[in-house]
Amino acid sequence: MIEFISKKLEWVDVNYWFYIFNELSLVYIIVPFFVLELIRYAYLKRLNKDLILDSIANVITFGGFFLIEIILGILAVTKVYFWIYNHLSLPHLELNWVTIITCILLADFAYYWEHRMMHRIGIGWATHTVHHSSPHFNMSVAYRFGPLDAIMPILFSIPIVMLGFDPILVLLSEVFVQVFQTLLHTEIIGKLTKPVEFIFNTPSHHRVHHGSNRQYWDKNYAGILIIWDRMLGTFEPEVEKVRYGISEPIHSTNPIKVFFHGIARLYRKLKQVNGFKNKVLVLIKPPDWMPE
Amino acid sequence: MKNSTLIFRSLAVIVFLTGIAHMASYASPKKEVMQPIEIIDSISLEGKWKVNYATEDFKGAIIYSIKKEDQSLHAYTYQYQDESGATEKAEGTKTLTIQNFDGSQGNGIYTIEYEKKSYEVDCKITMTDSNTFELSYDYYGYSDVETWKRQ
Repeated sequence: MIEFISKKLEWVDVNYWFYIFNELSLVYIIVPFFVLELIRYAYLKRLNKDLILDSIANVITFGGFFLIEIILGILAVTKVYFWIYNHLSLPHLELNWVTIITCILLADFAYYWEHRMMHRIGIGWATHTVHHSSPHFNMSVAYRFGPLDAIMPILFSIPIVMLGFDPILVLLSEVFVQVFQTLLHTEIIGKLTKPVEFIFNTPSHHRVHHGSNRQYWDKNYAGILIIWDRMLGTFEPEVEKVRYGISEPIHSTNPIKVFFHGIARLYRKLKQVNGFKNKVLVLIKPPDWMPE
Repeated sequence: MKNSTLIFRSLAVIVFLTGIAHMASYASPKKEVMQPIEIIDSISLEGKWKVNYATEDFKGAIIYSIKKEDQSLHAYTYQYQDESGATEKAEGTKTLTIQNFDGSQGNGIYTIEYEKKSYEVDCKITMTDSNTFELSYDYYGYSDVETWKRQ
């Protein structure tokens, strides 16, 4: 067993497995599931113009996010990652099952902290609020991203590269966590069995995360494993019916407004506060922080 | 939850997971460490070898010269041949270092070029007959097998 999990693997195989889970899941799970959700909305007489336009806006925001991600990736990320990997990292790890599993778990843990930061600092929330601003909850919401959403993950994945993990493996693991997270954006699946709900992030836990009910704010940041939230004091079970959205709704399905509303609100807040120090604090303090 | 508790628990997770990965990597069966190569008398790799290429960048053949230096074998570019057979002397760039070879199989470091950048990748050498060997590599899924024929 130990020999099997520590046996060196070929990149061509690893890339293939990740391709099946990461890229192809759009075809064999995500799109079919979204169609199923639309049928359910129609059956429940909830399929309306607002929901359709909201879903379209979600996909368009993903286009904006993806463009920024590509530019960042080509210009900087891979080069920075490889420079750090070659100059500032622990001894390089071999490509084997142990490395892959621990890298995914570390990417998941990094996701937890990155996600928590997105909620708890002003600049993070200015971009991440886009994801939470939909009053609906379905697979398309998973693709609703803000303009700076690609930046925070870089800061949190660089330490994984410094620990000796191959940069390509780190990037593939991050996408894997993101794909798992995507599958949680649904109202179709209720609560799963207790052991699963205890260990893994589930649609129920993630509905709580998207809730605007006061007790659900800033809870359940997990990607794959909900145990990170249980360990770090941010877990909240789904009890009360979830009201989706943010405390100050945007009431718009205009993709441009959706994409930039967080940045626009942050800009207005920065204009409101006086003094350079306070302006910096607006960026790094929690989103509801105001100088006394 | 106190910040110190958050930090302690987070560090514990990171150290635990990283520790497992490094221990597994350390304990995994290693490839033969580079030893002075053992060349079986019956098959010597020294000499000139020809490799045909049909890529977008280059169509033709390259003749390599394999020499033994400091108990290792190294392959240097010796001559280029285009499709029509016209030849041009190569600049003698070191392309391959054979780290070990048991007469039928071996391992080494091969230099490949991609988008005008050079990458050193692990490669495997397998003799198919006394005058031919296959050089194979896999770099992040970019894999190829080259056939080297003795000249």
